[in-house]
Parts: sequence; C-alpha cells; structure tokens
Amino acid sequence: MRNLLDFLYKYHHWLVFVLLEVVSVVLLFKYNSYHNSVWFSSANAVAGKAYELESKMTSYIAMAELNEQLTLRNIYQERQLDQLRRLYAEATKDTTAAEREELAFLSNYKLVPAKVVENSIHRAENLITIDKGRKDGVEPDMGVACGNGIVGVVYLVSDHYAVVISALNAASSRISCSIRNRGYFGYLHWYGGDPSVAYVEDVPRHAKFKLGEWMVTSGFSSIFPSGVLVGKIEQAYNSSDGLSYKLKVRLSTDFGNLRDVVVISDKSIAERAALMQAARDSISFKQRQ
Amino acid sequence: MKIELINRLIMSFTLFVVQVLILNHVHLLGVGTPLLYVYFAITFRRNFPKWLVLVWCFALGLLIDVFASTPGLAASVMTLVGLAQVYLVNLIAPRDSAEDLEVSIRSLGLAKFATMSALLTALYCMVFFALEEFNFFNVLMWLARTFVSTVLTMILILAIESVRSR
Repeated sequence: MRNLLDFLYKYHHWLVFVLLEVVSVVLLFKYNSYHNSVWFSSANAVAGKAYELESKMTSYIAMAELNEQLTLRNIYQERQLDQLRRLYAEATKDTTAAEREELAFLSNYKLVPAKVVENSIHRAENLITIDKGRKDGVEPDMGVACGNGIVGVVYLVSDHYAVVISALNAASSRISCSIRNRGYFGYLHWYGGDPSVAYVEDVPRHAKFKLGEWMVTSGFSSIFPSGVLVGKIEQAYNSSDGLSYKLKVRLSTDFGNLRDVVVISDKSIAERAALMQAARDSISFKQRQ
Repeated sequence: MKIELINRLIMSFTLFVVQVLILNHVHLLGVGTPLLYVYFAITFRRNFPKWLVLVWCFALGLLIDVFASTPGLAASVMTLVGLAQVYLVNLIAPRDSAEDLEVSIRSLGLAKFATMSALLTALYCMVFFALEEFNFFNVLMWLARTFVSTVLTMILILAIESVRSR
C-alpha cells in the first residue's frame, strides 16, 4: 500500500496528464453533438464581445469595396425587378399583382441583419460567429446569406451571438441547390483548399445546363428560400460512381471578406419540419408492420 | 515564487491576446499559421511543479480553443507539449546547472534553446494539424502546414527571445 502511495506521489503528474487529455479529447470529439454547449465555442458572451470589438475596429478597412459590390448588385436587381414587373403586367394585364405577391412572399420570411464578428476560411471546418442570437430571433438551422449569396446555416445560438456553419465546412455543410431556371438539383459540398470553389454533387445525368449558368438554392431544405445565389458553374465532371454529375462552382460569396449578413427565418419551417417528421414516422411504422 | 507566478500569468495572457486577435488571422501561403502560444509551454523553468505546468498549458490551450471554436484541440496538444517540456528540460540542461534553471537563450545558449524550442514547436504543430484535419487527412497538406507553421513560430520565438535576453 505504501509503495503504491509512493508511486502515485512520484508520478502524480502522469495522472494529471491523462485526466487533462481525456477531458480535451472528449471535448474534441463530442463537440459536433454538443448542441447546447455554447460555453466552449465563440458564441459565449465574453468571446463574442471581444470579437465584436475587434471586428468594429477592422470593419472600416473593408467598407469601401463592400459598398461598391452592394451598390452594383442593388442596381442590377432593381433593373431585373423592373423588367420582371413589366413582363408580368403585360402577361396578366394586372399592374399591381406583382407587388402584392412579392409582399406576400416576403412576409413569410423574417430577415435578421447581423454582423460577422469572427470568420475563418483556411480550416477544413470553418465556422462563423455573428452578433445576433436567440434574443434577436435567431434559432439553430436558419439560413444565413449576404448580399452576394449564401453564407451558411446557424448551428449554435446563445442569447446574443450565434455560430454559423459556413458553406466552407467540409464536414458538416450540405446545402441543397439547383440550376437556375432549369430545376435540376444537387448538394453543395466543399472539400477544403480554395475558399472560392465548391462542388455540387448528385446532379442527375440527364440534366441539361451550360457552363457559366448560375446555381441558386433550391428551397427544398426549408433552410433557405429558393433563388438565393450560390455561384457560377465552372466545370462539370462525372461523379466517381458515374451515375451523376459533379459540378465545379465558383462561389458568388467572397468568404474572405464577409461583414454584413442576414439570417433568414422562415415561419413555415416548423410546419414543414413537423410534416416531414410525420411522414418519416408513418413510413417507418409501415415498414415495421 | 509569487513574482514568478504573476510574470507567467501576464505572459500567458499576452500570448493569448496576441494569438487570438492577430496570429490566428495569419495564413501565409494559405497554410502557415504561427502558433506562438507554444512559447509559453517551452519556457517553464526546470523543476517547476509538473502538475501546474500541465494544468496551466491545458488552461491556455482551452482559452484559445474557445475563441477559435475548436474545443479540446489546442488544449490537448498543449498538455502533451507541457509534458514533453518537463522531460526535455532535464535532458538538455548542462550537467552542473542550477536546479531551477531558466529556459532562455541567456541561460542555455542559442544552440540549445533553439534545438529545444524547435523540437517542441514541431511536435506541437505536427499533432495540432493532424488532429485538426482528422476527418480529411491529406499527408501533403499536413506536412506543408506543419512545416510552414513551425518555421513561422520559430522565427517569432527566436525574435522575442533574443529581445528578452538582452
């Protein structure tokens, strides 16, 4: 017994070592299922505040370029809207219908503007911290977009901050998107490396498209409404099993220079999710019988 | 002892702030990030209470993890490097040196200090990037990140140390 105690006393730092390693390895491998552990991520209030201060200090530097981009996009969209409105009026002989429908569409979504306080693009699993949280109406699984396109999906939420899984997250990000005006859809997947290129997988072999066409969100996932920009198709490959296409997409969002984003909250999400769950339950119930 | 503890506390806090606010945003060639906080683990003096070395390294690592949203990553590797440091100091210290030998260029000489910090930094970067890329292991990328980050970190450590040793 005495020998054992001596031994423990002499090598107690090894015990400390093993204990600490176990704690950190548990943290390391459990994090993805830690939906409620805001404490160990940058969504906690102290880290969030520090990053917010830092981001305020540096935001002026990027402002000029960002403004330019937004202005351009604004002009482009105003023109497009104008054109569409005219076409719609010509087609239906009803000059106010377009506006009415637009308002009805928008009232389904609540947009929460937020600022990015922390962001990374060089890891395999990139996360973004934004300065809006539960008290501002942000909940997990809401979509996040910026003026130029998609950004990611909310993952963890604290009272005033939220962690977003960036579209540049090789492990966890799968955003459903489709080819604009053609409807064929697939899943956006990023493999690490270049932060401006990602791949859309599972596009059917019979899909027709041209290089240079735009990918937009499909609206199937109930995270994003349909039609949010994703990027331009640059190249098409065969998938490894030869059953579908894999499209190389130049992302429209500049993740390296991300400042203002909006969180898109869809009031019908809960309803759709409940319906989906009910459908799954009934299928598995039937299979069991 | 008290002054030493306060000094080390200030040092760990400074390294933490510098790492989180500046160095984590550096990505040289898209692969190299200086991980300067490993300097804190390297410079524990000889015969500093071993358990305290480990706990302190763990705490600093965890703090940096919280800010980088990588819980457990830096903490586990810092603890490992802390343990390696405790044994490496005894190996590398001259035979007739003091029991509480400081780890610095002034006390060890440039060659020994550089060897020791290079070993520990390389160990740190190797394990750190291996764990970080756990799911998507790509040997070339891992070697590139380890190499560039080790070199960057070493340059910073030697620069700081040579100023401190004046």
